[in-house]
Amino acid sequence: MKVEATIGKNMQPLLRVENLVKRYAKRSLAGTPEEFLALDGVCLTVFPGTTLAVVGESGSGKSTLAACLACLESPTAGSIWFEGREIAKLEERASRQIRPQIQVIFQDPASSLNPRWRVMEVLAEPLILQRKFTREEIDRRISSLLERVGLSPDIVERSPTELSGGQRQRLAIARALALEPKLLILDEALSALDCSVQAQIANLLVELQGSLGMTYLFITHDLAMAAQLADEIAVMDRGRIVEQGRAQKILKQPEQETTRQLLAAVPRLTLAPPLLEQ
Amino acid sequence: MKMQRALTRWLLALGALHGTVVCAGFFAPYDPAVQDRKYPYLPPMRVHLVDTQGHLHARPFVYQPKLRVGSFDEYEEDITDSRPVKFLPSGDYYRLFGFLSCRRYLLGTDAYGRDQLSRLLFGGQVSLVAGLLGAGITLFIGLCIGAVAGYFGGWRDTLLMRLAELFMALPWLYLLFAIRAFLPLAVSPLKAFFLIIVVIGTVGWARPARLVRGVVLSAKERDFVRAARGFGATNGYLLRRHILPETSSVLLTQAAILIPQYVLAEIGFGVPEPVPSWGNLLSSLQQYSVLISHWWMYLPAVAIVPFFLGYLGLASSLHERGAAYKIESRILGNLT
Amino acid sequence: MRYLLRRLGHALLLLAGVSVLTFLFTALAPGTYFDEMRMNPQIAPETIAALRAQYGLDKPLPLRYVSWLSSLVHGEMGFSFAYNSPVAPLLLVRAGNTLLLTITSTLLAWAIALPLGTWSAERMGRVPDRLLSWGTAMLLVIPDLALALGLLVLAVRSGWFPTGGMASVGFETLSPFNKLRDVALHMILPVTALVLSTLPLLFRHVRAAIADILDAPFLLAALGHGIPKRTLLYRYALPAAANPLISLFGFSIGMLLSGSLLIEVVMSWPGLGPLLLEAILARDLYVVIGGILFSTFFLVGGNLFADLLLYWADPRIRTESNAQ
Repeated sequence: MKVEATIGKNMQPLLRVENLVKRYAKRSLAGTPEEFLALDGVCLTVFPGTTLAVVGESGSGKSTLAACLACLESPTAGSIWFEGREIAKLEERASRQIRPQIQVIFQDPASSLNPRWRVMEVLAEPLILQRKFTREEIDRRISSLLERVGLSPDIVERSPTELSGGQRQRLAIARALALEPKLLILDEALSALDCSVQAQIANLLVELQGSLGMTYLFITHDLAMAAQLADEIAVMDRGRIVEQGRAQKILKQPEQETTRQLLAAVPRLTLAPPLLEQ
Repeated sequence: MKMQRALTRWLLALGALHGTVVCAGFFAPYDPAVQDRKYPYLPPMRVHLVDTQGHLHARPFVYQPKLRVGSFDEYEEDITDSRPVKFLPSGDYYRLFGFLSCRRYLLGTDAYGRDQLSRLLFGGQVSLVAGLLGAGITLFIGLCIGAVAGYFGGWRDTLLMRLAELFMALPWLYLLFAIRAFLPLAVSPLKAFFLIIVVIGTVGWARPARLVRGVVLSAKERDFVRAARGFGATNGYLLRRHILPETSSVLLTQAAILIPQYVLAEIGFGVPEPVPSWGNLLSSLQQYSVLISHWWMYLPAVAIVPFFLGYLGLASSLHERGAAYKIESRILGNLT
Repeated sequence: MRYLLRRLGHALLLLAGVSVLTFLFTALAPGTYFDEMRMNPQIAPETIAALRAQYGLDKPLPLRYVSWLSSLVHGEMGFSFAYNSPVAPLLLVRAGNTLLLTITSTLLAWAIALPLGTWSAERMGRVPDRLLSWGTAMLLVIPDLALALGLLVLAVRSGWFPTGGMASVGFETLSPFNKLRDVALHMILPVTALVLSTLPLLFRHVRAAIADILDAPFLLAALGHGIPKRTLLYRYALPAAANPLISLFGFSIGMLLSGSLLIEVVMSWPGLGPLLLEAILARDLYVVIGGILFSTFFLVGGNLFADLLLYWADPRIRTESNAQ
């Protein structure tokens, strides 16, 4: 059940991206430096408490966008406004302050959790890095986080390699929530999971959004999934946002060719009844 | 699990071997520098249980050697003079007791009458320390350089890797001989030796550095590192807690390969007398005429083999463990 | 194409760097060839000074390097004090002797390691493979010195093989065929020692590379197509495993001049190694520099050769560098 977010007229966007450009310099073997344009002037807006889905094919620049928004990479040009503050061109120390507020859930749950650590250490890491919690506080927060995502508290001694894919994504979500971020970027977070597990995690995310008022930026190549979960959809192609609007409108009246192609690629069956059940 | 057991077995075997060397003071019957001029180039003594009359003795014994009549370097057993083999008797001047000795030479003696067994054990101390020291230096330098090159990339990476290529291209063996030849004679033999080892260790960093760099490059891109950055981690934290632990398997495998290499290198350069070392023991063999007439001088080479075998086995099982670890996580990663 | 030119430029730069370093190192080391002479009270210091001037040892370092470099361009490599002759022909002869040994043993070792390693990889884990692995492990573990000495003792005891050197006394008087036979006889021991010392590692690497490939899905698919196992092994698996093996081969080539030092010394083979050692101990400057440069040339050349071979053999590398 998707939460219909009401966007008030005077509400400030949580995130506003203007003309974001990211160029990669590649040193070829022959010695001539070559450039690769990953983001070519991206513009988008996200309002608090809503879910924006960024949909595009592989290579359209979605992951680069996620990295730039999370302050993990510096864009070549353009601006990113987060809660009214320009964060695109921050230096390292200031970046480190901002990063906890924008968290990323990655696609592959196996590689986003250090296999040599135990669950306890994985969850404690963000809290330890903040340097303001005592040991008891950390333990308390860990148990409440596990409860919140529906994981049993006795997995703390296990290694992530012993968990299933669904459990690992829950763990990743729990870890991301530890710092109480304002914005959660889900970079293809459901793509690596089995269908039934996808539904469960999607449910969890929706529930968390409702109870915590989280804002989601949901990156995916799956238009059907976006349709189920997002309030707004932005279609990305070759480094630019070609179309952005309310989800229903995009699906019913696609304006751009890219959108139409994405729509045509979706198997009919999944678009019909809602996937999500209680 | 089988891998773990194989690894433990090799570790135990190596541990036992090193233990005997470390406790050379306990195991060696004699002071390796004491010369017994009565018995130069004595072949190993044969231990008997049955004497010439056919009586069985409870205790093993040896016959006292005496020079064969008419020759001055051949020995035969004096059947009138038998001495029992004493275990744990009081030794020459040690704080601890010797083991398996009775003032007789079980591995023979060298040109000066020094007991080969004792020289082997004490020499092992010097050689193994040399190997460990050299390998430690190389790995430390290789780790630092590889980590910097891999983590920071850019011009540092290019510069360091070019340097590494240069270091790998130079034929260090010759240069090291040159160093040894040019060493001022005033330096004490042991110091000169350790200087050589330090130099050998210092120039060998290139290959481990390349390997470490590879590991750091791929570890840097792992999602859990990016996630940690997202929590506000500094570079130092990332290197310390996430990236460098990934290098452990490469470092261990390299250590298992390098230690025997450096012990062998020591054999090439040797230690000046009278300090015993495996290099010294083997260097007298370079004139093979010695070997022809005194075959037991070859025995130290044979004794070294178990050590190298142990290191080889260790390196193999470490390598397998490192490879399996990756496969394991990949297999489990596909289960939901 | 540009990739290859870059690698070539690389290699030349490396050689230049090595030459500078070696020059610096040997020139900066204390003592010169004439120190011994200086000890001799019968030789007047003026003679020594004159000799030094004749060899240009009194000029400043950069000048000496430049003059050495310019003579290099003309194909000369300086003058040997000890042998009292130009360095280049001396080096060439000795290097030739070494190469005779190392080329033979390298070819032999590879010729044995490739089929043996492939055969062993096929039967990985079974008895023949385990026996071979253990056997080569034992060989690996025995120090080269011990191997060489063991062979020498065998030679002396049995009297079948000559015990050192490259030619018997009275070599010049032999007929051409007998000359060949003589050298070949002298070669048997060192070549055996070299092969025994390099074979185990080669074998292990070949085995590991083939075993890696044998696990690959594309082979399984080919098997499913009904392709016979022999063809599979030699025409599908071996080429795919070629990448690490080619690098290894390049390394073997690189070691052609430097890998046989110990064996040459022990078996008194008149090769580059003993010459260089002598020269180092006697501070025969230009021989040392020339010899080291020779060795490095082979090392760098071997790597370059491997790169070229890889470019030709591995389509992945070609695509990657041509896509730029």
